[in-house]
Amino acid sequence: MSELEPIKNGVARPNGNITSLEVYDKYGAMAYGIILQILPQVHLAQEVLVSVFSSPQLQACNSYPFSFAACVIKLARAKAVEAKRKLMAIAPVADPANALDASPEKIFDLSFCQGFTPEEVAGKLNISKSEVLRSFHEYFKLYRNA
Amino acid sequence: METQNFIESGILEAHLLGLTNEEEKELVKQMVEENEEIKDYLVDIESDITRYFNGSAVTPPSALREIIHLRSNQENFRKEKHTFKKKAAEEDQNTRFLDVEVNDTHIKVHKFWRPAFIAVFILSKIFLIAGLYYYFKAVNQEEQIQKLKTEIQQVK
Repeated sequence: MSELEPIKNGVARPNGNITSLEVYDKYGAMAYGIILQILPQVHLAQEVLVSVFSSPQLQACNSYPFSFAACVIKLARAKAVEAKRKLMAIAPVADPANALDASPEKIFDLSFCQGFTPEEVAGKLNISKSEVLRSFHEYFKLYRNA
Repeated sequence: METQNFIESGILEAHLLGLTNEEEKELVKQMVEENEEIKDYLVDIESDITRYFNGSAVTPPSALREIIHLRSNQENFRKEKHTFKKKAAEEDQNTRFLDVEVNDTHIKVHKFWRPAFIAVFILSKIFLIAGLYYYFKAVNQEEQIQKLKTEIQQVK
C-alpha cells in the first residue's frame, strides 16, 4: 500500500479530477514552503517542486479521501525527504537531535523536516514512540490555541 | 474515553503528515470508519494542518509553472501512447481476420537491391570484356610465336 493510497469510506471530496496545473496554482506555494523547510537549497527545492507536480502520484490525490491539500503535503514531504536523503548520502551533516530537547516543536522538526521516522526520533530523544506521536497532537493543539 | 485517547494519541496527525506505518494506517482506517467523532476530528485537524502549512507558503518562481505544464503534458502523451497500444492490442484480439490467398507471381524486395543488381551487372560486364581481351591477346601471341618459330626454321 502506497503512502498516498486512500482510506476507503473516508471523507468524500465533492469535486472531480483536477489537472496538475490546477493543483499547482492552488497548492504550489504551500508545497514550495514545505519543501524549503526540509530542503533549504533553493535550486534543489525547485527541482523537487517540479517533480511533485509532474509526478503521476499526484493523480492518486484525485481519489484521496481527504482534501487535496493533505495529499499534496504528504507528497511534497515524501519527495523532499527523498532528495534530502540523497543529498545527505553525498554530504553528511551533523546529527540535529539534541537529547535534552524533547519539545513538540523539536519532535515535529525531526520527524517532518529532518525526515526521521517516529521510531528513529524516539530512539534519538530516549522517549517512547507513543510520546513522539502524542507530541504531534500537542504541536497542532498549541498552534490552534496560539 | 477510548475515542478521546485515540485522538490525543496523535496518530491522526501523524497519519495526515505521512508518518504512520502500515499497521497504524489500518488502525486509522478502521477507527475513521467506525467512529463519527474521530472522522469529524480528522476533518478539523486536516484543516488545521493545511492552515499551518499555508502560513509558511512561499511563492515559487513563475518559470516553474511552465516547466510543470510541459512535464505533465509529456506524461499525458506517454500515457496516451500506452493507452493506444493497449487499445490496439484489444482491438487485434477482437478483430476477425479473413484468410485471403494472393495469386501474384511478383515479389517485393528491399530498395537497396536495385543498386546492388546494377553494380553486379556492370562488374560482370567489365570482367567479361577483360576476359575476352586477354583471351584474344593470348591467342594472338601464340600465333605470332608459331609464325616466328616457322621463320627461324626456314632460315636454318
